[in-house]
Amino acid sequence: MKSWFMIIGQLFILWIINTIGFYIVETLNLTIPGNVMGLMILFLLLVTGIIPIRWVEEAANLLIKHLAFFFIPIAVGLMALGTVFLKNGIPLIIIMGISIVLGIYLTGFVSQFVAQKKEGVKSENNNHSI
Amino acid sequence: MKIIITVFSIFITILIYLMSKIVSKKFPSPFTTPVFFSTPIIITILVLLDIQYEEYTFAKEIMTYLLGPATVALAVPLYKNREIVFKNILPVGLGLTIGSFSSILSGVLLAKVFGLSNILIASISVKSSTTPVAIEISKIIGGDPALTVAFVIITGIAGTMIGPWLMNLTKITNPLSRGLALGTIAHGQGTAEAAQEGELQGAVSGVAMGLGAIFTAFVAPIVISLIL
Repeated sequence: MKSWFMIIGQLFILWIINTIGFYIVETLNLTIPGNVMGLMILFLLLVTGIIPIRWVEEAANLLIKHLAFFFIPIAVGLMALGTVFLKNGIPLIIIMGISIVLGIYLTGFVSQFVAQKKEGVKSENNNHSI
Repeated sequence: MKIIITVFSIFITILIYLMSKIVSKKFPSPFTTPVFFSTPIIITILVLLDIQYEEYTFAKEIMTYLLGPATVALAVPLYKNREIVFKNILPVGLGLTIGSFSSILSGVLLAKVFGLSNILIASISVKSSTTPVAIEISKIIGGDPALTVAFVIITGIAGTMIGPWLMNLTKITNPLSRGLALGTIAHGQGTAEAAQEGELQGAVSGVAMGLGAIFTAFVAPIVISLIL
């Protein structure tokens, strides 16, 4: 019982931060989403210690565990849009394929290249777990 | 009638979601992940019962009420793994920036070359961001939420299947880089895959997913406004 009260209280904190995030974005006319602003606000509050992690941790874990649930009702919207995929299937496959390969390769290559440069200087540390 | 349909829609969505959780535990694969598995089943049920999408939208509003707070919650894993970023600020920062940017730009440019509609281009531009953030960015830049979810999920599945193989082929062996690439491009699914490779890979990937989403939120609107 007590832990449910706690989770609801924690959800309320997350909800408030999200609402503040949307409020800031709207007021300042920014082009980033309110929930991303909320994410950054919570991160700052945690790093500065204004909010201790135990105030939000349980509700956060619960929401993240079931994060995928929230996408399902939105994806159901495809029932009204499915034809878009059928009509543009081949270009979409090509675009996504190239873009995904490029993104993974460049992220991996650049970070490994930079990490190796750094390791040349201080050696050790990174390469033990594979 | 509206109330009955709404209650039924919520019931059926939760039921299929719980089923997908059981199935994905028994047969772990990108294809049994909740969204990929549940969505076609729910659509089929709605179509068979002759329920229009418009009639489902109220249920959708109720069920997605906590999506915003859930996105804010992503700050928690980011906070827990922040040391990894601080310790490896250059490889993480540069890898993520260049990789994420190239993914956004190549997606938008190619879509433009193929002459796709602006809604599609906007929806495709955010495909490497984690779903809740992608949906919100997409709304801002003129995309469609449902198309966006589809692109994001497909990217997660494809990235998870291609990623490890591609990195073996191109000799990207550094665990930090492997986790970073999977999280940056294939978000949540990539992170699950990275966690299979090792603890460091999983942690880096989780951080990359969060940072990549923030990066996309800042950059995608600029890229879209310049190119469209």
